[in-house]
Amino acid sequence: MDAPLYPPSSAYEAPVRVPQQMSTRDSSFADFLASPEALAIMKSEVPQFEGFIKNPMLAPHLGNMGPRDMVQFGGFKADALDRVDVKLKAANVRTGGAQ
Amino acid sequence: MSVSLTTDRREMLALTAGSALLPYALGGAAQATPAATAIPGTGRNLPFDNGWRFHRGAGSGFEASALDDSGWRSVDLPHDWSVEDVPGGAAPDQRGPFNKKAVGGTATGFTEGGEGWYRKHFRVDGVARDARVEILFDGVFEQSEVWLNGTKLGEHLHGYAAFAYDLTPLLNRDGDNVLVVRARSIGKNTRWYAGAGIYRQVKLDVMPRGARLARWGVGAWTRKIEGGIALVDVTTKIESVDPALTLVTRLRDAMGRVVAEASSPAIAEAKQTLTVRGPRLWSPDAPNLHTLETELRRGDLLLDRMTQSFGIRIVTMDVKRGLQVNGQRIIIRGGCIHHDNGLLGACAFADADERRVRALRARGYNAIRSSHNPMSHSLLDACDKLGMLVMNEAFDMWHVAKNPDDYHLHFPTDWDVPLTAMVQSSRNRASIIMWSIGNEIPSRSTPEGIEWGWKLANAIRRLDPTRPVTAALNGLLGPLVTASEATARPGQAGQADNASSIFLDVAGYNYRLDDVEKDFAAHPDRISVATETFPHDAWDYRALAERAPHFLGEFVWTAMDYLGEAGIGGAVPVKGKAPPMMMSNWPWVNAYCGDIDLVGHAKAASRYRDVVWGLSPLEMAVQRPLADGMTEVVGNWAWSDELQSWSWAGSEGRSLAVRVYSSGDKVALLLNGKPAGSKSLAVADKTRAEFTVPYAAGVLEAVAYKGGKVIGRRRLTTVSAPARLRVAPESPTGQSDRQALHYIGIDILDAQGRTIPDEMRKISLRVTGPAELIGFGSANPLAVGSFQSREAQSFHGRAMAILRSTGKAGSVRVEAQAEGLQSASAILRLI
Repeated sequence: MDAPLYPPSSAYEAPVRVPQQMSTRDSSFADFLASPEALAIMKSEVPQFEGFIKNPMLAPHLGNMGPRDMVQFGGFKADALDRVDVKLKAANVRTGGAQ
Repeated sequence: MSVSLTTDRREMLALTAGSALLPYALGGAAQATPAATAIPGTGRNLPFDNGWRFHRGAGSGFEASALDDSGWRSVDLPHDWSVEDVPGGAAPDQRGPFNKKAVGGTATGFTEGGEGWYRKHFRVDGVARDARVEILFDGVFEQSEVWLNGTKLGEHLHGYAAFAYDLTPLLNRDGDNVLVVRARSIGKNTRWYAGAGIYRQVKLDVMPRGARLARWGVGAWTRKIEGGIALVDVTTKIESVDPALTLVTRLRDAMGRVVAEASSPAIAEAKQTLTVRGPRLWSPDAPNLHTLETELRRGDLLLDRMTQSFGIRIVTMDVKRGLQVNGQRIIIRGGCIHHDNGLLGACAFADADERRVRALRARGYNAIRSSHNPMSHSLLDACDKLGMLVMNEAFDMWHVAKNPDDYHLHFPTDWDVPLTAMVQSSRNRASIIMWSIGNEIPSRSTPEGIEWGWKLANAIRRLDPTRPVTAALNGLLGPLVTASEATARPGQAGQADNASSIFLDVAGYNYRLDDVEKDFAAHPDRISVATETFPHDAWDYRALAERAPHFLGEFVWTAMDYLGEAGIGGAVPVKGKAPPMMMSNWPWVNAYCGDIDLVGHAKAASRYRDVVWGLSPLEMAVQRPLADGMTEVVGNWAWSDELQSWSWAGSEGRSLAVRVYSSGDKVALLLNGKPAGSKSLAVADKTRAEFTVPYAAGVLEAVAYKGGKVIGRRRLTTVSAPARLRVAPESPTGQSDRQALHYIGIDILDAQGRTIPDEMRKISLRVTGPAELIGFGSANPLAVGSFQSREAQSFHGRAMAILRSTGKAGSVRVEAQAEGLQSASAILRLI
């Protein structure tokens, strides 16, 4: 049995972002705020969205958290987010570009 | 790292006690000054914890050698002023160490930081005049500055990382030396109880001048185990090396026998391989430890010697076989813990740390995540010794704040200091299986955050390429990105991964039970571990780990109660309908989300986990009756207010919720011998059954069956009125040295000797003999008073006293009294 090694890499080059279909599961609050189209869809189903994410406790985590994360804390309802996902897919709203 | 002493602790105490009689004069004038400790001989890791002076509060000129500190309080380390009573405090807003107006609020459990100063007088005329003397602090919270004889040595900014100073150039070889430490914990700088002051051990290294082993300069790892032979590679860094020196490295087994040795000419960075035949391997079930000795010699003359514990083991992780230790799969049954020791605050006594690890091992835990900071070395010692796997974590934030005054202020320029100290000082620990670069890091998926993630992970791999790197990731793992050949982990160039996990060997999931398998489908190379979980999901995580080897297991939030994050685990009765979320506030001071309570007893969630993890076939608890119209709010980190009790006077005839946990396929209840219900348990029940039983005093019995056979019985019996106390030391004998602690349980009993399960009553304690009372209280999550007075209130019928030896052997008598109850006492023998 040989022990594994986890060697360092040689230099830092900024990773490149891969375009992705937006969704309430995989897209962050920051992604929604950065996409007028996605934000409009979200507000159409979750009118309190912008008010919710103004909570100062959430501010440091806007890039780490997304709408679906809030369901377990009672922040949003799953069925409303399901409808958002349908609309996002239908409109083919995507994130991506250079990181 | 555990390094041998040239003088053992008892001898050290005798010598220092003798030195206390040495005359001391400053500036030619006779003053009432503290005695100076003499440093005996040479060696590494000499204890330097006793005989400090302490002043709580800010001041000017406190670093001056000539300051008269005779009016300062004497303290022996470890010391934490945040757990001491608020000076001048009074109820109702100030209770013991808790202040309703404390700036930290619920985060620090309403305790206070501030500023404190320590002074230590010592002499070095007992050692060679050219000896090199270094001091090592295992941790000072939060920011510290250190002076020797009035000259500043430096400052340290991270409250949990070890740091050292070379005292040599500033030493007064013939007279008194004064070491001064200023510690500050200012503003909103932490999300949990951090303590304040020199809360971990302090050591001295006294070495001959010239060549020496570099601090944390020995790195050893088991490279191969095959055919009854283990190969251990050792790299040793040597300072001021010259060609006439020899480096000798050997491993000794637990009996002290040399099992492998290598000798070679010393060079600045020497590489050696130890060949061990028939090695006794280290694992959680058999934590066989060896001693790794490193000697630097000039001919027959020993110049420097370092010893540390070492376990021969190989840890692997892959998506097909999961986590394996020496080829055996182990599912992580882990718990997150914060660093405090309950009633002792943050004080890192080795005995308290070991007691914590023992309590967790007894409940089936095989792993700890040191959330969210590097562990004390006394806690790591216990993990090595008791077979507890460790995820050692560096940071709770990087460049973006979680609190306005937290470490983010220093992170961009200081990050490598604590990171290097964490890895180098503990990289030879058998218990540590992975490093975590952070917890729920804000902005980690932004371009700047991604680069920080790479920097930290890569820095660790340069320091220790033998362990995987992880991070605890809340919420989303970030957008998909690809990394270049130069930047990616080996074999991962060009492969899409999430921004938060692309540079991690193991992805840490906080509270994302449902995503582990979905994400694996998209990323079939991803190894994951649940770095935080809710207690009520224990069954699901066990099942997930059993069916999906790419998932290594869970770390529940939390394994033990801790001070701060007050009330996140509290089950709270409210009028009417339960709100979706509740935030607790004063007088909650304890998070109360642990399996184990603040003084070391198993709580209701732990009993459920006992069944899920197979420690018990059956457990039973009863929810505290709610007043009419009330609803119990049980948050995600909380557990219903259940007690193993059938003593609910005043609830006669009311229907009570009885919860039964069992690995069987059927459970039945009997109340006073008559059937009170039965239920079949299917897989979907996840070992839980709930009954509603009209309360009547007597005996409630649960019986669990599997395939028609009884596999367990549990009885809850109604107790009678409180009648007497019981004082029960956890051990009848103990050590007498100043670092030794002794835990004494105090129970309130009925006339039949049964603990009253829900009794809250004031208890007074009297301790006589060579020990002092340093902690007295209960697991009560609310602020009810001091942790350091002779009086405390019981909680769930129990209280806990913690004694510290004074340094003398003898008998200690502990007597407990409570109004209306027969008093009790016990004798503890210190040797």
